[in-house]
Amino acid sequence: MPFDSRRIHDVPDDLLAAIDYCYEQGWTDGLPVIPPVVDRVDATLAFEGRPPEAVIATHPATGLQLTVHAAAVNAVMAGCMPEYFPVLVAAFEAMDKPDFNFHGSTASTGGSAPLLIVSGPVADDIGMNADVNLFGPGNRANATIGRAVRLILRNVFQMIPGISDKSTQGNPGKYSFCIAERSRSNPWPLLCETQDYPPGVSSVTVFAAGGFCNVENHGGNTPEQILLSVADAMANYGCITLGQSVVILSPERMRIVAGAGWSRSDAQRFLFTHAKRSIEGMQSVGKYRDSEYDHQHGSNAHALAEAGFVHRGMTPDDILITMGGGDAGGHSCFIPSWSRGRGSIFQHKPIGVCIDCV
Amino acid sequence: MRLYDPTSSGPERNLFRAPPLPALEGRTIGILENNKLNAVEMLHEVAALFEARHGCVVRPVYSKSNASAPAPAEVLAKAAGDVDFLITGLGD
Repeated sequence: MPFDSRRIHDVPDDLLAAIDYCYEQGWTDGLPVIPPVVDRVDATLAFEGRPPEAVIATHPATGLQLTVHAAAVNAVMAGCMPEYFPVLVAAFEAMDKPDFNFHGSTASTGGSAPLLIVSGPVADDIGMNADVNLFGPGNRANATIGRAVRLILRNVFQMIPGISDKSTQGNPGKYSFCIAERSRSNPWPLLCETQDYPPGVSSVTVFAAGGFCNVENHGGNTPEQILLSVADAMANYGCITLGQSVVILSPERMRIVAGAGWSRSDAQRFLFTHAKRSIEGMQSVGKYRDSEYDHQHGSNAHALAEAGFVHRGMTPDDILITMGGGDAGGHSCFIPSWSRGRGSIFQHKPIGVCIDCV
Repeated sequence: MRLYDPTSSGPERNLFRAPPLPALEGRTIGILENNKLNAVEMLHEVAALFEARHGCVVRPVYSKSNASAPAPAEVLAKAAGDVDFLITGLGD
């Protein structure tokens, strides 16, 4: 059977009827979608250099493939502007890396959502929000790029709730979970600058995320006080595992941490040191496993792993920290991994460039 | 109005179910444990039932380190050569 990525549905020339048609086909996340009309899809494809048939990602269990064309169709349905498309493409290139395990993280009872963190100049170029109401509604790029990820998981990879997506409770990020890293007033190198890309190249980092945990601390005025609040959230009995973490410090809190001379590495080491639970504590809630403890404290154990304790993650590098949100407020956040261990690992890709060609 | 279809349109996949065994008596069983809590214990219990009821022979356990990822192709290829059927499942 010849490969055909351009199947057409002829529907009456009535926009509302077309939206209903998309519902009837099972193509939506529950919210109305933009009907993927040919002209809009073609305009989106103009932002990708590869042919429409090029494969971006492949489902490891079913073999279903995401082509450039199918990605563009779903981007239009999510409401993306054409210029957002390179971010979406890069996100799926990152998710396609085997260690991200997008099949497992989407199918699992854990209810994971892929969190996208866009870093670098492209965020401003396409009007993404890294500021006030960072994780909330109101910005088209953030909202629709994240939504397009979900539509692709549903429509292309057939990760259907109740069938191949068995999330026990899910999380609201499964509608959309996409932010930009704040560059304005950020005292630390941007993520894209730490990922060994050439200067000026933006990146997207993907993380199979659990739910969002607000970390409120308005009274702390030292790095230790602020980060102990974060470490406590990371180590709560419901969250602590050997999995990775994302921490987004609010600008107000970041000013205190970085203002005292702390680097990202300093903060990672502090959090790893303090985000821990005793063996007895883990046993008290039925979460202790010898094999996990031995894994963390074996011959390759990190020097900061303390005997008798289970830390969150395997090393300080398992904690991604950056800054985001509005100037006012002592609200940071911790986002746990879906994976309880190494079932999914952060991945990143450059946006809009073939890095081997740079 | 002309809409593109948003679903996958990749090449046809050659997926099919293995034919059922005509009988279980005396067959060899493989166990694919997935590193989930209690998985290997539960699977051994299931295999023991096949041993007791059908005279099956249990082969060594095959493992995969990541419960949520497909089993590595080499593990499945080895199991296919070693056993008549394979049981797997979650243990938590």
